[in-house]
Amino acid sequence: MSSPNAPIALTAHLLLVSSISFGGFPTVLPDVRNFVVATHGWMTDQEFANLFAMAQSIPGPNMILMMSFVGWKVWGLPGAVASAFATFGPPCTIYFASYRLWDRFRDAPWQQIVRLGLVPVVMGLVIASGTVMARAADTGWRTAALTIAAAMFMLVTRLNPMWMLVMGGVLGGLGLL
Amino acid sequence: MIDIAERPKHAVSLAALFTAFLIVSLCGFGGGIVWARRIAVERRRWITDRDFADIVSLCQFMPGPNIVGIAVCIGARMRGVLGTIAAISGFLIIPWATGLSLGLLYLEHAHLPILRNILGGIAATAAGLLIATGIRLLMPHRRRPAALLFAALAFGLITFAGLPLLAVLFSLVPLSIALASIENARAR
Repeated sequence: MSSPNAPIALTAHLLLVSSISFGGFPTVLPDVRNFVVATHGWMTDQEFANLFAMAQSIPGPNMILMMSFVGWKVWGLPGAVASAFATFGPPCTIYFASYRLWDRFRDAPWQQIVRLGLVPVVMGLVIASGTVMARAADTGWRTAALTIAAAMFMLVTRLNPMWMLVMGGVLGGLGLL
Repeated sequence: MIDIAERPKHAVSLAALFTAFLIVSLCGFGGGIVWARRIAVERRRWITDRDFADIVSLCQFMPGPNIVGIAVCIGARMRGVLGTIAAISGFLIIPWATGLSLGLLYLEHAHLPILRNILGGIAATAAGLLIATGIRLLMPHRRRPAALLFAALAFGLITFAGLPLLAVLFSLVPLSIALASIENARAR
């Protein structure tokens, strides 16, 4: 069903989109969907959506895993490995180079100012993505209370967050949420 | 480059970086940043909250998964290129292999209600943890009204106005930096 050039086309496309995935991989996901589902027909929309839901719910490098499943579908294990490298390789290189550059000037006065301006905005964004996640996860007052309780515990105690995640999972599993 | 000599780069082993990011990866439901901060700042005390907030902010401006960027930067900070490779390998290899195998299994059982309920509870908790991590990293700036204003704006524009991330970043950050430089000039 897929031509011999399919793995190369997929890998090349992933190399490209991962280099421009500003704001994380979810921002280029619609593009990957078009490429994989609409342009090449390697899988159906439903299959793509299932992969996304699964990647979101297992721990680990979830977007890299998701692309590996797409690669698997096209070319088995080598496809999965190639997709993984294409997804994290370019960003890693860019991160490393820019960190080196940033670090070289870490005590420069201009960088102190950039830091003062930049960090609050980014932290607002982090809190916002927590809220966006909460909106999707909080289906009623019980789950909302769980989100608030987890945030409070994290803020006032140094308790290992794993206990909170386990408790959340147990409460959910018992059907209490 | 005086500051380089001050840093205890040799104190952290490559194995420790590997393990730390293996844990970050395996625990990172929804938000690996929660665990990266927990381990690198709170437990191991490799870097301060200030440095961690810097790294997170830098990564926001680069393409790719931010948590991968955090692993790259902390690895580079502690041990240079080798540190980066150790951190990234820890983050990726084992979780990737397990995830790939479990994923196929999971897809077959994704419809089971109990599995969905458990994941629902975990997702709700994970959201709370992420919110708390953002608040904690904002704490060093709590006495600066401008910082709180821009944090609130960024939060509001994403949460309530639903604007795309990049639009928010590129409109707020220049303003925020401009205001910080005025603040800084006055303080002198």
